[in-house]
Amino acid sequence: MTVNIQQQSKIAKSTILAKLTKQVSGADYTKLPIEQGYQYPEISQQAHIDKFVSLLEANHAQVIKLDETNIANVVSKELENRGISTLLYGKNARYCDQIIKIEPGIKAQAFDFSLTKKQQYKDKLFNDTPASITSSHSAIAATGSIVLWPTINEPRTLSLVPPVHFVIVDATSLHSDFASLISAQQWQNNLPTNVVLVSGPSKTADIQQTLAYGAHGPKELIVLLLNS
Amino acid sequence: MTMPTNHNEESKYAASARAFRANVTRDLNNEELRENFRGAMDYLMDKRKGAFSDINELETLRQQCKLIKQRCLLKLPYLLAQLEKNLEANGIKVHWAETTNDANEIIAQLIARKKGKSVVKGKSMVSEETALNDYLEAKNVECLESDMGEYIVQLAKEHPSHIIMPAIHQNKKQVADLFSENIEGFTHTTDVDALIGEGRRVLREKFCHADVGVSGVNFAVAETGTLCLVENEGNGRMCTTVPNLHIAITGIEKVIEFLDDVPPLLSLLTRSATGQIISTYVNMISSPRKEGEKDGPEEVHLVLLDNGRSQAFADEELRQTLQCIRCGACMNHCPVYTRIGGHAYGTVYPGPIGKMVSPHMLGLEATTNLPSASTLCGACGEVCPVKIPIPKLLIRLRAENVKAKGSAPKVMKGEGSGRKKVEASVWKIWSFMHKHPFIYNSSMWFATRFRALLPSKIGVWTSVRSAPKIARNTLHERVKTRKHNKSNYTNQI
Repeated sequence: MTVNIQQQSKIAKSTILAKLTKQVSGADYTKLPIEQGYQYPEISQQAHIDKFVSLLEANHAQVIKLDETNIANVVSKELENRGISTLLYGKNARYCDQIIKIEPGIKAQAFDFSLTKKQQYKDKLFNDTPASITSSHSAIAATGSIVLWPTINEPRTLSLVPPVHFVIVDATSLHSDFASLISAQQWQNNLPTNVVLVSGPSKTADIQQTLAYGAHGPKELIVLLLNS
Repeated sequence: MTMPTNHNEESKYAASARAFRANVTRDLNNEELRENFRGAMDYLMDKRKGAFSDINELETLRQQCKLIKQRCLLKLPYLLAQLEKNLEANGIKVHWAETTNDANEIIAQLIARKKGKSVVKGKSMVSEETALNDYLEAKNVECLESDMGEYIVQLAKEHPSHIIMPAIHQNKKQVADLFSENIEGFTHTTDVDALIGEGRRVLREKFCHADVGVSGVNFAVAETGTLCLVENEGNGRMCTTVPNLHIAITGIEKVIEFLDDVPPLLSLLTRSATGQIISTYVNMISSPRKEGEKDGPEEVHLVLLDNGRSQAFADEELRQTLQCIRCGACMNHCPVYTRIGGHAYGTVYPGPIGKMVSPHMLGLEATTNLPSASTLCGACGEVCPVKIPIPKLLIRLRAENVKAKGSAPKVMKGEGSGRKKVEASVWKIWSFMHKHPFIYNSSMWFATRFRALLPSKIGVWTSVRSAPKIARNTLHERVKTRKHNKSNYTNQI
């Protein structure tokens, strides 16, 4: 006999909530102790940038400082050094007018297909896409993290599946720490489908505590830092 | 309070937890295993120490995070309801399960509804707790672990020996041997980059074709209806992004109230676990694929599991168990864990945290040996990022373990299982003696005068130690003599 999971879940919910509520129903939530956070010393914007760069580099990311108009040149050179001739980018995404200047030396392909329609698009992304480039939403100095905010133009897998990931970070979008970023941008009111903080290339130390890069996500993270 | 007990369906973990003593003997005699654990624990302790250079920051954060988790627990039923409401508003379906079996059945049916045949799994200890892989494989659904450590453990047909680093008990040679036996075309090498490269090759193929992704959850944010996952490899992102169906499973204690609660907890979690100031990826999922989006799962589900957690919740002291954020620091610093390794415990969660939560999940009968498998050195409590008084809770569990059956109030399933008649009588006599000075003094006199009668071999105790020697006189007698001498001395002056 098949269990009706909907019915069962409903019963489980009321049982669990009843058990829990019985224990805390008299609790006074107005008298909770103050949760004192740690006050980090304030540092200059330049010090934030330096910290951001050094943490990313310590995590094996490559950081290149450049002007927006140089994006195509720099990316093209980096790809040539790796023997890569195609680059996947987000159609109509920020900086895409700069990115397409990379043609004709490198073939720039727009992510204009939906992975949900056909398996062949997944196959293409996994097997025939050596590199990608995305913009970023903001960044965090204290942990050397880049905030990716995937959109219709720059889908989630664009920054995940290709082995080499270029990410454009505007130094003026750098925040001191995660908490202040959330509060400055009021994230609780506008979270998208997915937000990812990225702090380096994919890695693992699961075999005998030996660090290896390129576990499942990008093997290389190349950060293009603007306005620094 | 009635507790469901069904011995016919006792989990495999209960059976292996019962064999604790035999497991310990087995693993203590395995030198290679002990070496692997010693090396790994030294590494992890060093990494953690390096990540907390400012003691003031550490202590402020620990206090803050303890209070955050205590607030969230005090509001738990309301936060769970809020979480469900906000997740559903975002398009994520929520399911509730009281037992591991119910959770597995929910997941199996969700997969069957989509005609799913292959599952890729991100690291999830709760799915280990429910033994989901076994359940799905019995229904002909292929279930592949994709975290490198979990993948190794699955190939070896083992269970994780550590909650953060599942394959910590294996060295690179053992992993190379394992790959040779199991992966066609693999050329034997102990080069870690090559080994990881091989795992990557096999698993990317699976990510590309899997129908379903299963993951755990590190923090479930009630305020926004958001599931946060912390990882380094990218397999968690793969499992939650590429397949068309994503099912997350977590314990009811993982809910937190505000998005603002995430940064301090996250900071302590990764630093306590692996000494990283942040993990490579922090993945925050708030909805399935929206109209027009080109990737991401069409459906996202969350399964909320109780499995004994509400039992721990019912006792104010034991409730602190649920503050745990599963960083693994307690096991990294535990002298017992380091020596016996993660498998000896027999439970899903090993080490100090395992000794605290497993009795609620499996009952004290199966886990009767665990609360006393501790030296009470206190290291676990000192490193715990949310300040759970682990040694104190272990002492409490010891008391629950030996309390007289039927004594009210009932606190736990299987309480009183460790009570032995002889031991209980000895303590009764001990207590009686200490209340009656004449009996106490005369038995002490006999014990000291006939001390030569104490046998030199006293069971297990003398198998690794020399027998204790009783003193010639009791302490009381010696103090009396000393006072007497002292007063003589003073009189002479």
